[in-house]
Amino acid sequence: MTFRSGAADAPAFNQNLGAYLFLAPALLILFLSLLLPAAATIGMSFTDISFLRPTNFVGLDNYLRLLSDGRFQQAVFNTSYYTLGVTLPTMVLGLLAAVALNRRFPFRVAFRTIFYLPVLTSLIAAAVVWVYIYEPYSGPMNGLLVSLGLPPQPWLQSPNLAMTALIIMAVWRDFGTAMIIYLAGLQDIPEEIYEAARLDGAGKFAILRRITVPMLSSVTFYLMIILIVQSFQVFGAIYVMTGGGPLGSTETIVFQMYQTAFGYTEFGYAAAMSTVLFFVILLFSIVGTKIMRKGEA
Amino acid sequence: MSTATSDAQSVAPVSAASRLAALRPVAEAVVGYGLLLFAAFATMAPFLWMVSTSFKTDPEVFRFPPSFVPQGLVWQNYLDVINAPDTGRQLINSLIFALGSTASNLAFCSLAGYALARMQFRGKTLVFALVVGLLMVPAQSQIVPVFLIVQKIPFAGGNDWLGNGGTGLLNTYWGMILPTAATPFGIFLMRQFFTRIPIEYEESARLDGARPFTIFWRILLPLARPAMAVLGVLSFQSAWNEFIWPLILTNSRDMATLQIGLQLLQSGPDARWNVVMAMATLITMPIIVVFLFAQRYVIDGAVTSGVKG
Repeated sequence: MTFRSGAADAPAFNQNLGAYLFLAPALLILFLSLLLPAAATIGMSFTDISFLRPTNFVGLDNYLRLLSDGRFQQAVFNTSYYTLGVTLPTMVLGLLAAVALNRRFPFRVAFRTIFYLPVLTSLIAAAVVWVYIYEPYSGPMNGLLVSLGLPPQPWLQSPNLAMTALIIMAVWRDFGTAMIIYLAGLQDIPEEIYEAARLDGAGKFAILRRITVPMLSSVTFYLMIILIVQSFQVFGAIYVMTGGGPLGSTETIVFQMYQTAFGYTEFGYAAAMSTVLFFVILLFSIVGTKIMRKGEA
Repeated sequence: MSTATSDAQSVAPVSAASRLAALRPVAEAVVGYGLLLFAAFATMAPFLWMVSTSFKTDPEVFRFPPSFVPQGLVWQNYLDVINAPDTGRQLINSLIFALGSTASNLAFCSLAGYALARMQFRGKTLVFALVVGLLMVPAQSQIVPVFLIVQKIPFAGGNDWLGNGGTGLLNTYWGMILPTAATPFGIFLMRQFFTRIPIEYEESARLDGARPFTIFWRILLPLARPAMAVLGVLSFQSAWNEFIWPLILTNSRDMATLQIGLQLLQSGPDARWNVVMAMATLITMPIIVVFLFAQRYVIDGAVTSGVKG
């Protein structure tokens, strides 16, 4: 922020108008795609709107129903399990890749590019390829297991394994993002600290554990928030790979919301789900942003 | 890639008195490279399987365990995808959607970013706070209301002025583009960029009495090419890869994008893995090629979007 002359404090009418014209298209889009939907979701969550019969105001009924809805609780559990399962390994792999690639050596850029490729792939292409990889009768994953002398597994067809299979695919897709963000964080650690530690005779793992990881704590926390927010909203992979099955074992909140709204046309009830999800995610985002601001200051 | 050759000396083994001490860095380098190569191979494996399977014949796909190297290069699968009745239509839909979304992001986000960076107006702090606040709104949790809003756009698709009676912008390109036409991230990115351009560039033009739009169009926009490149590539990539908006906002076969088409092909009754993989390869390649050309900018942009967004 720079200081401006007094005249700028009282902008002329036509300058106001000019600025509003510049802003109008973008703000209209944001209003229609984010602001109004957020408000509409909250409003709709207090009704039984379905577009098939007249809409009634139902107060907190939808929320009370959520509290006793076993399927929704299952979805919350599945989503939390998925989020936890994706977030931790993604951050560890991302950090290891970033530390490994933070030195200058031949083919560094090639490795970085390879690790980042899954991030670029469309979710649907990636999901389709992984459905093939997990294919029980002709897929490469079972081919690998068999060639190692292990029994083949019914990956996506087993209620016990399907979620794990989805988590493996998500970690594969996301650790490149973690790597890039950690690489940016590593650039900010002064080289002198490492030199001092080396002079004191600290080993590689001691340096990683005592210096790198603590110095990256704000980046780690921020990354964790991004991954949690993103994983909480998982939908496309579920839609393509399992359809929520088998036996509801991979049904997540957004997937159930999609089904409730567009399958059963219970828009009001879906809006209540959406509102719960919205505030949980918003909470994580606000905490993440606060931490980030603190890290920058 | 350019740095790779100049770094070659840095891993050369250090000559030391003790042989064991001299071997240690070598051993570490070997183990390090080994681990990296393994990780790189594991990361690439799904892509390699995708490409390898796309060249296999029908009987070869069902052989178990599957072989990594196809027996020959069967281009028929690619021809099957390209000649399928819906593919051309889906490609056009994807291109219109991705290019439309990119163009509107470039136009709207740069205009808004410029206003927030350089213009003085009442409510500026509030608008900026709103944009930053909206960065946090999860888009995927808004599928239900966005569907309803797109359906209720007045005067579109047979709607009256209250937005009732018709289908609104459902099943139209406008409807698909709408939720992605401007993003808080794009506005934020452009605003940050414009803030860093020295004010002197536009001051002389302003003294000459140039109008704000002329200053923006003639002076600021040409300077903003790098930021526009980042925003353009990221917008195109995210629209090209988008699944949820086309899925929800269209339901006719004529409006399906390539992503929807791939999902339909894979879940269809006569799905053949080699053809599905050929289509996945065709969809993935453009983005990877664009990325390889714009790598430096895009990674910087991705970092900005992740760390500062």
